[in-house]
Amino acid sequence: MIKTIAVRCWKVVASLQVTIVALILLMALVVLCTLAQTELGTLGAVNTYMRSFVVWRQLKGAPFPLPLFPGGALVGLVLVANLTAVVIRRFEFNPRKAGLWVVHAGLILLVAGEFATGAFQVDARMTIEQGQTVNFLESYHQMELAVSDITDPAHTEEYGIPDPRLRDGASIPVPGTPLTMKVKRFYVNAALSPLGAGDPPSLADRGVGAGVKVVPAAPAASDKEVNATSAFVEPTAGGRSYGTWLVSTVLGAPQSFIHEGRTYMLSMRPRRYYLPYAITLRKFSHDVYAGTDIPKNFSSLVHLSNPARGEERDVLIYMNQPLRYDGKAFYQASYGKGDTLSVLQVVSNPGWLLPYISCVLITLGLLVHFGITLFTAIKRRQLAGETA
Amino acid sequence: MRLSRLFAWLPGLLALAAVLATAVPPGRIRGFDVDKFGRTPVLEGGRIKPLDSVARNALLMIRSKQSVPSEGREIGPDEWMLDMLFRPQVADAQPVFVINDPDVLGLMGMQQGANRYFSFSAILPHIQEIENQARAAEALESVQRSRFQNAVVNLYERLLLYNQLENSVELADSPGLYAELQGLGTPQALQRQRSLADSAKFRMLPPLPGQSPDAWQSTGEALIAAGSGPAHPALLSLALAGAGYKAGQPEPFNRGVAELRGLTANIRPQALRHANSEILFNRVQPFYLGMVIYVLALLTLFGSWLWKRELLQPAAFSLLAAGAVVHTVGLVSRILLQGRPPVTNLYSSAVFVGWAAVILGVILERMYRKGFGTAVAAAAGFASLIIAHHLAMEGDTMEMMRAVLDSNFWLATHVVTITIGYSGTFLAGIIAIAYTLRKHIAPAPDPATTRALVDMTYGIICFALLFSFVGTVLGGIWADQSWGRFWGWDPKENGALLIVLWNAVILHARWGDYIREKGLMACAIFGNIITSLSWFGVNMLGVGLHSYGFMDQAFWVLAWFILSQLALIALCLAPRRFWAARAG
Repeated sequence: MIKTIAVRCWKVVASLQVTIVALILLMALVVLCTLAQTELGTLGAVNTYMRSFVVWRQLKGAPFPLPLFPGGALVGLVLVANLTAVVIRRFEFNPRKAGLWVVHAGLILLVAGEFATGAFQVDARMTIEQGQTVNFLESYHQMELAVSDITDPAHTEEYGIPDPRLRDGASIPVPGTPLTMKVKRFYVNAALSPLGAGDPPSLADRGVGAGVKVVPAAPAASDKEVNATSAFVEPTAGGRSYGTWLVSTVLGAPQSFIHEGRTYMLSMRPRRYYLPYAITLRKFSHDVYAGTDIPKNFSSLVHLSNPARGEERDVLIYMNQPLRYDGKAFYQASYGKGDTLSVLQVVSNPGWLLPYISCVLITLGLLVHFGITLFTAIKRRQLAGETA
Repeated sequence: MRLSRLFAWLPGLLALAAVLATAVPPGRIRGFDVDKFGRTPVLEGGRIKPLDSVARNALLMIRSKQSVPSEGREIGPDEWMLDMLFRPQVADAQPVFVINDPDVLGLMGMQQGANRYFSFSAILPHIQEIENQARAAEALESVQRSRFQNAVVNLYERLLLYNQLENSVELADSPGLYAELQGLGTPQALQRQRSLADSAKFRMLPPLPGQSPDAWQSTGEALIAAGSGPAHPALLSLALAGAGYKAGQPEPFNRGVAELRGLTANIRPQALRHANSEILFNRVQPFYLGMVIYVLALLTLFGSWLWKRELLQPAAFSLLAAGAVVHTVGLVSRILLQGRPPVTNLYSSAVFVGWAAVILGVILERMYRKGFGTAVAAAAGFASLIIAHHLAMEGDTMEMMRAVLDSNFWLATHVVTITIGYSGTFLAGIIAIAYTLRKHIAPAPDPATTRALVDMTYGIICFALLFSFVGTVLGGIWADQSWGRFWGWDPKENGALLIVLWNAVILHARWGDYIREKGLMACAIFGNIITSLSWFGVNMLGVGLHSYGFMDQAFWVLAWFILSQLALIALCLAPRRFWAARAG
């Protein structure tokens, strides 16, 4: 009994119907994801339709979101399971089928690469002004509460508390310092405005925050918006409070206090990842076609300095030509400040080679398979012609 | 036998001879060497081109045609440009602005009638109102604008272009270049020179020896420079030509133009050579002629089904071959002129999709010799060239490639492969349509031909899957090289993926025997819908890194196309000659 059910399940999983249904579902998802981009932005649409196992939708009148459609991750998994099952069930060594096997092996690799990208790819950026040297990357989405010991201007010590740890009421000891940060309120996104006459007093009693009104806002949905992440925090040390401060990514003014002769600066900023090497922007160029403002090329001439490896060299990063170094790729992404500032996108993706390999496999496989098919068809026609 | 073979090739040879005849340069018009003036190289839109190209593209954008009536006859783009530059009062009276939108006409107090063409003078009294409306509309994203708002913005842009062109060599309300050269030092002169330099659409004066090859100057810039140094030698020749044209005297005009050419030939011979080649391409219009030849091939083939099949079917094939030759020559000329692989923008993708489909069709016809290869190839060639013809209204089709696209390697690999994938999917769809129509029209079933059609479709779908898949993955690799991610679910990427998935669905369903002859054909027609959406539809969303050009008029065309394909799918699935059965 159990055996027959298992056999049946196995037959279903390894059937061509499942392949076709899953492919059609995937097409529907691709269409939905594309259309949703006008509303949700690319990232929002991809997270809703492609990187999820189930597509949830809040319908009008329903008390909670309903599962409307299988998500891209689920369909992808089904396809991989189906493909693997078909391979196991139907595998026979037949040179005429060799092309097909190679194609499908390549496909598995391609899907694996996409899963690896989803799981391991880290996107960050590096913003450098001409002449400036930078040795850290900034996250696009994560923020951090930075506590910097700026007592010695020549040597700053920095401690970053990433935003997932900043929750209302959390009490976070800052490693390497006697300080503890008490989080009074945390806002993923907020609207800041000057405190009006009728408004209740600010939670902050120190720094610029005392005169600022903070209203919670919905987290940024589209790719163009950036969260104004903000928090009210109270630094304490040795049983003593240094008051409540407002920190926010949209507040520029430096805020600092002194504890036992050491000056600490507080700020909310994109999360930083420090590198064991530094990059200096020598020159940013923005070329246009003669007599127009059509951009021809963007390029950054940078100097790479890695004392640990004794590397000192200049690198030109330009369109379609990233710098690959230390498992990361640095791309020319944006620019600003009258063409004196360059923004590099920095991607580390351990699976970046998989698509290249799979592309070669699938191309060869399809060529072999369709080549064999074509050859057979021509031969059959010749035979038919001879007998006729 | 010999004779009939010769006769079969005759139509194709005649068509080629007719194409060659268009390459002969025209004579002088009213004694003016207009042709030579049109060959003058200028810098516009970031590249060197003959003035003729500027004139043609501008006239296409403003009037949607390459000619305009003036003083009782039709004049071509070069003569129109001469009027714009040197006889602005005459140009302003020519009906060059095509206005179709009833609300825009209403804004100017005009009724929609037989006349769709208006002169600048007729629009002039309403120009302030048009500008106000256009400014208000421009504040909105193009997706949010109403039809009227899009139309008024479009008219305003054409007015701006017109104004720039008219003020490119001398200011339209000034006595002319001679007077400017004589009154160089006066304070008002500098102001006029500045506004001339600002409004110039193109730069006509070649860089002098020792200057950078990009340092072309407009007359305004050259006049400003002449205030503090020697005047550009070409200024005087241009002034002579202009004065001659204004005064109706061919002799000084021809002398000025010849001097200008002599100078350019000396200092920038390469620019002159390029302009000469491009003007030949402009004049022959290979894609337009190719379109006409494809229609002839199609009509001849239809004729062959009614009369003298053994004679007309080869004749149709010879016409198709002639069309393919003209199409190929045009494509190769573009590659050489631009120094780029064949597909660089939407326009050239249409030209290339058609070309690849025609070549595949020619191969199919040689393999099966049933006439269907000719029919689908001619239909595909004609359809794609007519799409290209309409896309050409958007401006210079050999525009410069924006930064990230400026990579011949990827344009040659990813873009060409994916476009061949489009061609294949469309060709399979067109064969399926032919199958559908034949099924209902042909008086008796013919299993051998049906079998051949099914084989063709299946083979072409395999071919399309190969190219669209490889093209999509190559696109991912390019994206990895330039943006740092292999796949970003960008609309254009999704469109390409849809084509791959659909072709895979068809093949798997066929292998699993879930669809047979009819199902395969219906699915192939649905492939047309997917491909058209991926090719044009995603551009209409206005999101993503690939959206190069929002086309609102095209939306309705696309909607009708999709409806027609759905109707064809229904027809494909309906029983053979279902209406006849009911009538009987």
